Amino acid sequence: MDFSDVLASSIHDIKNSLGLILNALNELVNDSNNHIANPRQASLLQHETQRANSALIQLLNLYKLGNAQLVARINEHNLDDFFEDVIAENQATCRALNLELTQTCDSHLTGYFDADLIHGLLNSAIGNAGRYANTKILLSAAIEERYCVIRLEDDGAGFPDALTQCLSAENAAHQLIASDSSRTHLGLYFASRIAALHRTPDGRTGMIRLRNAYTLSGGCFELWLP
Amino acid sequence: MTDEFINKKFLIVDDFSDMRSAIRSILRSLEVTQIDQARDGNDAIAQMTSKRYDVVLCDYNLGPGKDGQQVLEEARHHLLLNIDSIFIMITAENTRDMVMSAVEYAPDSYLSKPFTKEILKRRLDKLFERKADLKKVSKAMIVKDYNAAITALDALIATNPKNLPDLLKLKTEICMTANRYDDAMVIFEQVLSEHEVSWARLGIGKVFYWKKKHQQALEMFQQLIELDPNLVTAYDWLAKTQAELKQFDAAEQTLHAAVKISPRGLKRQQQLGDLALSNGHSEQAETAFTRAVSLARNSALNHPSLLAGLARSKSSNNKHIEALKIIGEITKAFPNQPEALFYKATATAAIKQNQGDTEAAAAAMESAEQAISQCGELANSKLGLEMAKTYAQLGDHDKATALIQSAIANNHDDEEFLMGLVQVCREAGFEYDTETAIREIQQGVVKTNNTGVYLIKQGKFDDAIHLLHEAAEEMPGNKTINLNAAKAMIIKMEKFGASMDDILKVRRYVERVQTLAPQDWRLHEVISRLKNISPTA
Repeated sequence: MDFSDVLASSIHDIKNSLGLILNALNELVNDSNNHIANPRQASLLQHETQRANSALIQLLNLYKLGNAQLVARINEHNLDDFFEDVIAENQATCRALNLELTQTCDSHLTGYFDADLIHGLLNSAIGNAGRYANTKILLSAAIEERYCVIRLEDDGAGFPDALTQCLSAENAAHQLIASDSSRTHLGLYFASRIAALHRTPDGRTGMIRLRNAYTLSGGCFELWLP
Repeated sequence: MTDEFINKKFLIVDDFSDMRSAIRSILRSLEVTQIDQARDGNDAIAQMTSKRYDVVLCDYNLGPGKDGQQVLEEARHHLLLNIDSIFIMITAENTRDMVMSAVEYAPDSYLSKPFTKEILKRRLDKLFERKADLKKVSKAMIVKDYNAAITALDALIATNPKNLPDLLKLKTEICMTANRYDDAMVIFEQVLSEHEVSWARLGIGKVFYWKKKHQQALEMFQQLIELDPNLVTAYDWLAKTQAELKQFDAAEQTLHAAVKISPRGLKRQQQLGDLALSNGHSEQAETAFTRAVSLARNSALNHPSLLAGLARSKSSNNKHIEALKIIGEITKAFPNQPEALFYKATATAAIKQNQGDTEAAAAAMESAEQAISQCGELANSKLGLEMAKTYAQLGDHDKATALIQSAIANNHDDEEFLMGLVQVCREAGFEYDTETAIREIQQGVVKTNNTGVYLIKQGKFDDAIHLLHEAAEEMPGNKTINLNAAKAMIIKMEKFGASMDDILKVRRYVERVQTLAPQDWRLHEVISRLKNISPTA
């Protein structure tokens, strides 16, 4: 049996379990007669379950990346529409954490990317931002220097300087994993690899950037897609 | 408009009862009330047969038996889904590879597990909105009025909606079906001038292929595979192009690579089996047919030719006893079908011949002749080919030649079929010069057609009708001849009035084409013109 088959089949099982946990929690949270669970605790459980799910997808994709099996299927997408999809998936958790998740972009703006990959990437990034944000998380997009730039900002304390500086060097994210395999770093490493799968024949390659205090006071995760 | 799905009928298909109840409770929380459940593929098909559902939520992984893709194939094949029904495939793993491998029977949407109430709601809202927007287009597509569909789509495109990229892609698909290659090409080039997108590049390759620029098509598909080694459709098209260029070994290699990426494609496994057998790689053929037979077991797309192919390849590997056993399964799997009897007979003949029992082989061919005569005048040209191949194997070259000539005449403008024909002759080790025969017969048919058209222009309707009628009787399986015979009569009737007899005659031509190729792009015009004619005498 091929390892990727074992992995796929395990992931199928785990995802079924996560799905059931999520739905059971959802019912608990919405059941006014329920006196067992504290709704806030249940919401946090929901949040963590979704993060476990994102981590699982990330794991599978990292495995595929390692075997050069991961290719970006690039299509043109309307960003307003795409953001609404992302928000639909994350709104409930953000609400439970008392965070306001919104998006802003020109309603006719389009970008070229693999919607599945970028969606998964943004799910992880929102999950991450949810741990640092005070009251809000903002998604936005714009065309800058012939790139489609997707930004995810929060109003938390911002990224540590070491991280923003580290990423300013080209492709430095690839070395991140060697220095520190913490969850944040693994996530950034993964994000930079996914971004780099987006390439154009004229030599432009996707990348990620980190900065602080863009329009909100906290961290700003940027995805530059050619 | 949102929440349009509340009053719709839903079917949930999952082998795991907890999952079914979880999905049901999500639907309930969205105020959906009409919810049925199915525990496996057979259960799902049974329920879809007795009731029309608006939305089917089907898990891809359904345990032993049919998988979600096979449920979808069977549902579409037996028309269990209305044009405005929605089929959503629920998958645990990444859906991306499936999207590209299920080109022919694609679901309306994929949903990856686990999903929440909010995601399902948004997905349903979007799908219903899209169906509503495309209502005019779908209506035109049902009656195969491709030009009307494109006009309706152009009107939508002109409003510059958010899903413009999807609409442009849809337009190219309809243009390709309608043989409007140049219109499709404009869009492909426009899209590619903005950004590299694989469906547009694939589209250009297909246009090259259909315009017989095979070398350019080849390069395009190779380039695509280099960019994305998992793009399985590009392999399929590359193999087709290579076969067209007579690079049969290369085509086999290409398909071999494709089944490694996506081993569940039934048609691809069968094509690989056929190619390997004609290339003399009988072991590879056996592997491919074994897979095809096992994939087909639960599938609506199962066909007697698969077991026949497996039996033939086993026999080529000197496993005659096993081969004969497999043949016994053909009529069990397809009881009371003349086509199955036919495949059983021809495969038996081939095996008996391999065993050196020429008498038994000849007897089997007699049963094959009987079976094919029961299939009617429009007996699938593929059966004729299978028969020719077997006669050639048995050394009866006169019969094989006659069958091949009639197959060419019936399909003189069907490139794909003719390519298969060349392959079959090669497989049978048949010395007959197929390509010269194709060219000569094509010229004959084209000449008849042109003369017919010329006579119509000259106003000599009766001469034209007589000529085309004779040709259509000689080649009842030739779509172009039948359509032109129909057109000649229609033009005459439009000018001079019609008798009921004439109308019935035209209907017979049209019905032939409908049976042979229900999707033929030329049918709509003929049918709608015929509808406007009423008998005057």
